Amino acid sequence: MITKFLAKFPALNSWVLWLGFLGLLLVIGLASGILVFWKGLGITNLTDLVPWGFWITLDLSSIAVSAGAFSLCAAVYLIGLKRYEPVARTATFIGLIGYTMALLSLMLDIGRPDRFWHAVVYWNTHSLLWEVTMCVCLYLIVLVLESMPIIANFEWLRNRFPKIAGWMSHAHHYAPYLAIAGLCLSMLHQSSLGAVYGVLKARPIWYKPEMSVLFMFSAIVGGISLTVFASMLSARLTLKARINDSLLERLAHFVGWALVPYLYFRAWDWLAMTYTHQPGRTEGLEVLTKGPLSFNFWVAEILLGTILPMVLLLKQQTRQNHFWRMVALAMVVGGVIAYRWDVNLSGLLVVVSYLPGESTVAYTSYFPSLVEIGAGLGVIAFGLTAFSLGVRYLRVVDHRFFEKDHETVKVEVPKTVPA
Amino acid sequence: MSDNKFSRRDFLKITAFGAAAVAGTRLVKEAQASSSSPTGEHQWAMVIDQSKCTGCNYCTMACQAHNDIAPQNQWNVVSPSGEIGGHQTYIARPCMQCTHAPCVEVCMVGASYYRDDGIVMMDYDKCIGCRYCEVACPYQARVFNWEKFEGPNPLVPEWGSPEVERRPRGVPEKCSFCYHRIDRGLKLGLTPGLDMDATPACVNVCPTRARLFGDLNDASSEVSMLLNEHASFRLRDDLATGPRVYYLPADPKEMEVEKQS
Repeated sequence: MITKFLAKFPALNSWVLWLGFLGLLLVIGLASGILVFWKGLGITNLTDLVPWGFWITLDLSSIAVSAGAFSLCAAVYLIGLKRYEPVARTATFIGLIGYTMALLSLMLDIGRPDRFWHAVVYWNTHSLLWEVTMCVCLYLIVLVLESMPIIANFEWLRNRFPKIAGWMSHAHHYAPYLAIAGLCLSMLHQSSLGAVYGVLKARPIWYKPEMSVLFMFSAIVGGISLTVFASMLSARLTLKARINDSLLERLAHFVGWALVPYLYFRAWDWLAMTYTHQPGRTEGLEVLTKGPLSFNFWVAEILLGTILPMVLLLKQQTRQNHFWRMVALAMVVGGVIAYRWDVNLSGLLVVVSYLPGESTVAYTSYFPSLVEIGAGLGVIAFGLTAFSLGVRYLRVVDHRFFEKDHETVKVEVPKTVPA
Repeated sequence: MSDNKFSRRDFLKITAFGAAAVAGTRLVKEAQASSSSPTGEHQWAMVIDQSKCTGCNYCTMACQAHNDIAPQNQWNVVSPSGEIGGHQTYIARPCMQCTHAPCVEVCMVGASYYRDDGIVMMDYDKCIGCRYCEVACPYQARVFNWEKFEGPNPLVPEWGSPEVERRPRGVPEKCSFCYHRIDRGLKLGLTPGLDMDATPACVNVCPTRARLFGDLNDASSEVSMLLNEHASFRLRDDLATGPRVYYLPADPKEMEVEKQS
């Protein structure tokens, strides 16, 4: 039926339909966003006991899965793995989108969005969140500069303002310096986002040093996975995207190995370190292992998010099979998002009492409201739209693209292995 | 090419060392500044006697009226806290005004801060409403303004009249030890804790005098003497937040006497 319908309207190709679908989500998101700014956070399901919910998870996840940008840029420009340069380009563009998504969801989440600039102007150097804000803002500048040569690929810009496009391409000349800045800033805030939770004595399940290590680790794994997955998906859907599969296969192999220590740390974290019977900590663990988050923890995070993709990516046959590799990478990304959700809620759903002589722990619940979901979908749709346009018009996923294409830089390029 | 590489490495080294040195000195200085105890002339504290508290909630209502708080938000919460010798006990919980307050440490814009006299303050004009302080507080002393508080306050004028501005939508709020009453009283030469006009509303209204307020720096103040003479405890003392609200544990004998009087 759909094919018949499509045959009637030749202009309605899959690209237009896809944009239409995203446009619909964007409208829903915009309407929800306006509703939030107008009516305030009272229309969310957030409470004084669970003040952080879906939007914070979205914010943390966007930043986490953007980590491909700094890790791949560091690999290319600092470690010297030059042949991954075109993959790093994709990762950088995804990073730019991801951090913009994070800022959008934060704007929704704060009670006074009109004062967002206070976060940069007023400093409390004790606050982890201050450090994260500073790093994210500075890193966003780095990402914009790193993305300049990509945006310079826009044909209209090249034809209309060739000089500006030339300057923008020239930014590539500073890529190694930007990679250093990006590495420092990202190492700082990716781990500090975990420490934001890890320093709070009031929430025993969070209060531990390994939070920052796990956030950092999962971000690198998730970020590279998303980059490889998005590249492969684009290449399947459009001829505008060209990939060198051997590069992506090697990265997927790396993700598979990286999942091994990640699983080790995660298991040590949850199954050994927290086995203390400290009030609130044991209960937080039980919320995960047998409580309301148990499906999320065991299935989404551990089984589908870590163990299964680890096997799929380490086993040569499944890794080389495009379908299974993509499934595995998508599951890793899902697992990282599930981890962020689990961390946030395992601390908030357990309320440790301050009263002497009363039962020490109470439980609360949270599920996002329609407005929260609508606005969140809008933010996600923004990201998908930006990436789709990038693939189509900016050659974001194009592994034939090498540094020699930038007129200002002359670098010898090693021959690539054809896919 | 090799020159280029060398200089890049140098650049990295110099930047890293420079940044680390600057950040290190600054952090050490800051850490010292924050760990030293406050130096104000007065150090306000509250003592709540569990033997006398009957759980009547007058303190909460006076607080709601004087600080013009929306009914769904409570700065002061009275909760039952177990029985002793057949008597029900209660814990009245204002903001603890911690010496090492998690909310102050985590606030990204510095909207929560310490006064010299130990009161933990909120700058409602600076706050961006991220609610990190709310997540960090072990006492659930902070409530967020999810909605704008509009219309009349049902507890005004029976329980007092508003003395501070209503907080806008989108910021968390909390008990301030009625700093405005303290400041005004001191200017007029009054003594907070002794003169009602300089004392927090919850202390004034308490019918059994279970709540007492005063200066820990003044050895002759009621709070100093009580804390010297009696055993006392603070909520979640294990977290080393250093609350300025002290509780005198319930004593069944004293509660029997109170009941009869």
